[in-house]
Amino acid sequence: MTKRRTLQLAAFLTAGALALAGCAPGQPATTTEPAPGPQSAAPDAPRELTYVYFTDGPDEQATRDLIAQFEQANDAKVTLEVVPYANLEQTLQARLAGNNAPDVARVAGLGPWLEDLADLSAVKDELDGQFIAGSDAFTHDASGNPIAVFSDLTMNGPLVNVDLFEKAGVSYPKLGEKWTWDEMVAAAKQVKESQGTEYGIAIDISAHRLSTMFSQYGTTLFAGDGMEPNWDVAKGATAIEQFVTLNNDEVMPKDVFLQAGSKYAAPADVFLAQQVPVYISGNWQVASLSSKANFTWAAAPNPCAERCGGFPGGKFMVGFEQGKNVPLASEFIAFMNSAEAQTHMAVEANFLPTRNDLIEQGIEYTNRGDDMKVFLADVALTPDDTYPANFSPVFGATGREVIAEIGQVMQGGKTAQEASEAIRTVVETNAAG
Amino acid sequence: MLPADTLAAPTAAPTRSRRRWLSPIKIAPYLFVLPNMIVFGLFTIWPAINMFNISLYDSTNGRTFRWVGFQNYAELTSNQAFLRAFTSTLVFTVAFVVLTTILATGYAILLNQSFRGRGFFRAVLFLPSLLSAVVVGLLWGWILNRTNGLLNVGLDAVGLGQPGWLIDGRLAMVVIIFVGLWIHVGFYTLIMLSGLQGIDPSVYEAAAIDGASPTQQFLSMTWPLLRPTTLVVVILATISGFQSFDFIWTLTGGGPVGATTLMVQYIYERAFESPIRYGLASAGGVILFICVFGFTLLNYLNGRRQDAA
Repeated sequence: MTKRRTLQLAAFLTAGALALAGCAPGQPATTTEPAPGPQSAAPDAPRELTYVYFTDGPDEQATRDLIAQFEQANDAKVTLEVVPYANLEQTLQARLAGNNAPDVARVAGLGPWLEDLADLSAVKDELDGQFIAGSDAFTHDASGNPIAVFSDLTMNGPLVNVDLFEKAGVSYPKLGEKWTWDEMVAAAKQVKESQGTEYGIAIDISAHRLSTMFSQYGTTLFAGDGMEPNWDVAKGATAIEQFVTLNNDEVMPKDVFLQAGSKYAAPADVFLAQQVPVYISGNWQVASLSSKANFTWAAAPNPCAERCGGFPGGKFMVGFEQGKNVPLASEFIAFMNSAEAQTHMAVEANFLPTRNDLIEQGIEYTNRGDDMKVFLADVALTPDDTYPANFSPVFGATGREVIAEIGQVMQGGKTAQEASEAIRTVVETNAAG
Repeated sequence: MLPADTLAAPTAAPTRSRRRWLSPIKIAPYLFVLPNMIVFGLFTIWPAINMFNISLYDSTNGRTFRWVGFQNYAELTSNQAFLRAFTSTLVFTVAFVVLTTILATGYAILLNQSFRGRGFFRAVLFLPSLLSAVVVGLLWGWILNRTNGLLNVGLDAVGLGQPGWLIDGRLAMVVIIFVGLWIHVGFYTLIMLSGLQGIDPSVYEAAAIDGASPTQQFLSMTWPLLRPTTLVVVILATISGFQSFDFIWTLTGGGPVGATTLMVQYIYERAFESPIRYGLASAGGVILFICVFGFTLLNYLNGRRQDAA
């Protein structure tokens, strides 16, 4: 190629790139417009809904049962589209970008969708004030209209290998009893040494699960409306120091933490292989372990340090403005979160209810009821500031940094105090947007 | 007035030329490649060009875009995590390219000799490049596990302890370079082998008659004659090194504490993990493109200069 042709080609490509740069991809960002208010269905709106869902296991069949009831009662058709949790956000973003949003979805957080959610005012009376711990503050828009429902609650907490504890002659607290972090660590170490397990305690590698420990040591990342920094450097440093010491002493599996990289890792396999007597995870493991574990296990109360209780999580049901029949979607969301429907999900899939009335009266679980009661009892002990911490739109981004900071302490690159100070800076930066 | 034939002449020539150009035999090749070019253009070229555009915007949902100019680039170049990924990528790529070239040349020379079982060894060397990168990552993850991995169980048995291959930052970088080589060296060896087999054996016979030692033969004949093939290997290995992601993702997840996070993983996480930042990820993609393009061009020009000399 001659020099002249090369220059011509370069000029052409540059001009093309510059011309392209002048074209905005997608839609230009504008200021958020107020929600259009409750929509009424067009006369010819189809009585059909699509529901994008991710499953934790037995909840899928329970959901299908409820869908069948809704279809029969409302002369409607609901198509359940099950997607892997890891692809949920990408799937929904792609469908929204293609103007092909589902009518309803089960999502883990509201942050990415706030501008796309349908106003559920048509069923406002059935939703307002019905759900747990001030969740209305996060599921309503600025005008006070409902845009989401806190549909299922999860509670972090420890699971213990009863067989190993019994063989070691070590006791653990049951429903209504308490233990401290020091007592739990001492018990786990005793079982480890006595039974020759590889580790004493394992915990899922995620900022959400570590937030359980942070809360017990007296601090959370956020409070208030979820955008208010709440990280206490001294309390955080104490929790980090304890966590890193447990890992360095091989009471916890340091390798699992460091080998996870930036991925979520759950050492459930280590627990199932009976190589760890205490596994800190959450109630969603109950259904899974009841079918997989070939030993006796049980849920134990969360350990206390400065505070007791666990750390909440959960999922939301939302409708999308792009949906073809928003009023029908609103009815469906209200139906799926009625007392009867939540009871069905709880009993069949070992879910924890989010409705105040069900939490108050309790659920009669048919499978692993005693374990679920332990988790429900911890809901009552869980401090209020853990809910906004979990619902915070910037929890995910902050959590990634938290894991990285703890990793640096584990590798000797920072002290717990320095990491805790760095976390405070990240929390403040992310809270400021 | 001009004669009729002189008027007709200028129009007749282009018509004949156009007819010749439009003849089926001329058009056929373009028609054959057209379907592939349409798919390639739509799903590779267009998105690649669009990446430059998106890098000048901020978007968290892929639908609404806010013009930010070069702010994404400024954010990346002041971001410690990105700078670390950039440095790690350079370290990985340089080590990968240098070692690949040396090993592939060495293996090619060995496998070019005539010995019993040559075909078997060629197949064994090439086999890892047929495996899924995800499988390779998981496989080496099990082998290199600190407490229960095959390697450390063996090392421990002979009193050499249990090195933290995947939990020590420096060791983890060595591991991903090694696994990268394990996957790819067989492929590059085949390329080098084809280059070796293209060298006329009579030049070696002549050199042997002149009394040249094997080392002299390698330095004065094999190496210079292999230069064009080496250039291809270097360019392909450079591109492969910069693009490495899949086996690292399953082997170390970019850890421990970001020690093996390369640029592609950084871009992937910004684009597909919450909180999504498409503009920032695209800016990272542009920087990666510039790196790959720059290194490839440098190698190409260097190779041509040496060939000319």
